[in-house]
Amino acid sequence: MRKNKAMIFWFCLPALLSLVIMFVYPVTRTVIMSFFQVESVTATTADWSFYGLGNYTKIFGSASFMTSMRNMLLIWIVGGVITLALAMLMAVVVTSGIRGKKFFRAAIYMPNIISAVALATMWIQYIFNYDYGLLNEIVQLFGGDKVKWLGTDLKFWAMTGSFIFGSVGYYMLIYISGIEGIPQDLYEAATIDGAGKGRQFFDITLPLLKGVIKTSITFWSINTTTFFLWTKMFSPIDTESSTIVPVIYLYDMVFGGKGITTRDAGAGAAVGVVLTLIIIAVYLVTEQLFKGSDLEY
Amino acid sequence: MKKINWKKEARLLPGYLIMFIWVLFTAVMLFWILGASLSTSREIFSGNIFKFETGFHWENYATAWNVQNVSVFFANSLLYSVISCVGVLAIAAPAAYVLSRWQFTGGKTLRIGLVIAMSVPVIMVIMPIYSLSVQWGIKGRVLLVILYIMLRVPYTTIYLLDFFSTLSRTYEEAAYLDGCSGPNTFLRIMLPLVQPAIITVTIFNFMSVWNEFFMALIFTSSESMAPVGVGLLNIINSMKYTGNYGGMFAAVIIVFLPTFLLYIFMSEKIIAGVTGGGVKG
Repeated sequence: MRKNKAMIFWFCLPALLSLVIMFVYPVTRTVIMSFFQVESVTATTADWSFYGLGNYTKIFGSASFMTSMRNMLLIWIVGGVITLALAMLMAVVVTSGIRGKKFFRAAIYMPNIISAVALATMWIQYIFNYDYGLLNEIVQLFGGDKVKWLGTDLKFWAMTGSFIFGSVGYYMLIYISGIEGIPQDLYEAATIDGAGKGRQFFDITLPLLKGVIKTSITFWSINTTTFFLWTKMFSPIDTESSTIVPVIYLYDMVFGGKGITTRDAGAGAAVGVVLTLIIIAVYLVTEQLFKGSDLEY
Repeated sequence: MKKINWKKEARLLPGYLIMFIWVLFTAVMLFWILGASLSTSREIFSGNIFKFETGFHWENYATAWNVQNVSVFFANSLLYSVISCVGVLAIAAPAAYVLSRWQFTGGKTLRIGLVIAMSVPVIMVIMPIYSLSVQWGIKGRVLLVILYIMLRVPYTTIYLLDFFSTLSRTYEEAAYLDGCSGPNTFLRIMLPLVQPAIITVTIFNFMSVWNEFFMALIFTSSESMAPVGVGLLNIINSMKYTGNYGGMFAAVIIVFLPTFLLYIFMSEKIIAGVTGGGVKG
C-alpha cells in the first residue's frame, strides 16, 4: 500500500494538537508550578517565584489536607475491599448459570450509566433522609429509633456506602469478562476430582484472575484519588472535615471555597502531583505484587 | 422452553437471593423517586406517596422544566454531548485510521502518548487549561465543548484504532487500483466498515459528556450555560428556600432519563463495550 505522507500528517495533526494542548502542556506546567509560589491560577509565569518544596511542606503541614488524605485512604482501603469483594461475589453469581443472567448483569451495572449527581441525590434525598428515608423506615420496622445518617458521625460512611453501590457494577463487569475467559474444562476436571465450589473458586478462579484483579485495583486507585463529586453532593456548600478529600481541598485552594480567603494555585498543583504520584506508586506496587500473572491456559 | 432442572436451581438459590436483594433495592429506590416526583411535598413527608390521594402532580415536571430551569440545563447538556461526539470523531477517526495502517516517524510516540493520556487525572490538567483559556479569551459554551472534545480524543482514538487494525488491507488495494485517493478511501470505504465501533464509542462519549461534572463546575460561570449535573446541584442547593421536594425529584428523573433510556435499548452493546476496549487482564 502506498504511503501518503501528506495524508498521514494531516490526519494525525488534530489528534496530536489535542494531546499536546489538553495533556502534555498542562501536566508539564502543573508539575513545574508545584515548585513555585503562585497565588492566582491565571497568574503569568512572570509572577511566579521559585519556592522549592515549599508548596509540599505547606500542604503536608495543613490539617485539612491531612484530614482529606486520611478520608481518601479510608475510602481507598475500606471502600476498595468492600467494592471489589462485592463485585467479585456478583460476578461469580452472575456466571454461575443462573437464569436471567443478562438482566441481573445489566441491572447491577445500571448505576454507572446514569448521572452520578442524580444517583447521589437519590441516596441523599431518599435513602438517607431522616423523615421519610428508606433506611429509617427499615430501622423503625425493627423497632429501632430513627438514625441521623447524614449527621457528622455517619456522613462519611453514608457517602462511602452510596459510592460503593454506584461502583460495584463496573468492577463486576471486569471480573465477569475475566471469569468467562477461563476454560470451562478446568472446572469440569476439578468437579470430577471432587473439588467443591468454594475450593474451585480459591484454587482456579482467583489465581487465574490475577491480571484482572490487578487492573481493577489500578482503576479503583484512580477513581478514589480523583474522588470529588460525591463529597460535593454530600457537603454541597461548606467543606466539612468529615467528607473532605484532596481534590476538594485543591478545588477550594485554587478556585475558592467558603471560608478560604487566600488562593494558592501553587499548593493546588502540589496536591495534584502528590495524587498522581500515589496512583503511579499503587500501579507499580500491584505490578510487582501480581508479577507473573500472565498464566497460560 | 428448556425444562427446569429443580436440583440445579435449588443449588443456585443463595445466588438468586443475593441478586434479588440487590435488584430489589435498586428498583425500590427508582420507583420511590418516580412516585415522589408525582407527589406534593406534604405527601412525601407523611410517607403517602404511592396513594396519589390528590392525583398525579404532573405540574412538578412543569415546575422543574420551566421554573427551575431544567429545560436550559437539558438543552445545554444535549448541545455539549452532541457537538462533542461529532467533534471527537472528526479528530480521532482519521488519526486512528492512519496509526493503524502505517508505520511512520512519531507514530508510536503518538500512540503511547494517547494511551498514557487516558489515565491522566483531570486535576493535573485543569489549572493550566484554566489560565490558558483566560489568556486566549475562550470561555463559556465554546470552551466547554472544545475541552470535552479534546478530553475524549485519546480514548476514542485508541478504541477505534483496535477496530481499524482488524480490517483487511485488500479493501484499500482494490480502491487504489480503481483510482480512489487515500482520503476518499478512508471516508467512503474504511469509515463505514467500522460503523459498529463508531456507534459504541459514541455512546460512551455521549454518556461521559452528559454526566461530566468537575469541569462543568469550574468552567460554567453562569447558570444559563450549566449542564444537567451542575444544574441539579444548584436546584438542590436552593431547595432550602423553595421547599419544593416534588419538583426536585422531577428534576432528578428528567436528568436520569436520557442515559437510562439509552441503556434500556442498548445495554448489551454498552456492556460489551465496557470490557471490549482498553480493559485487558
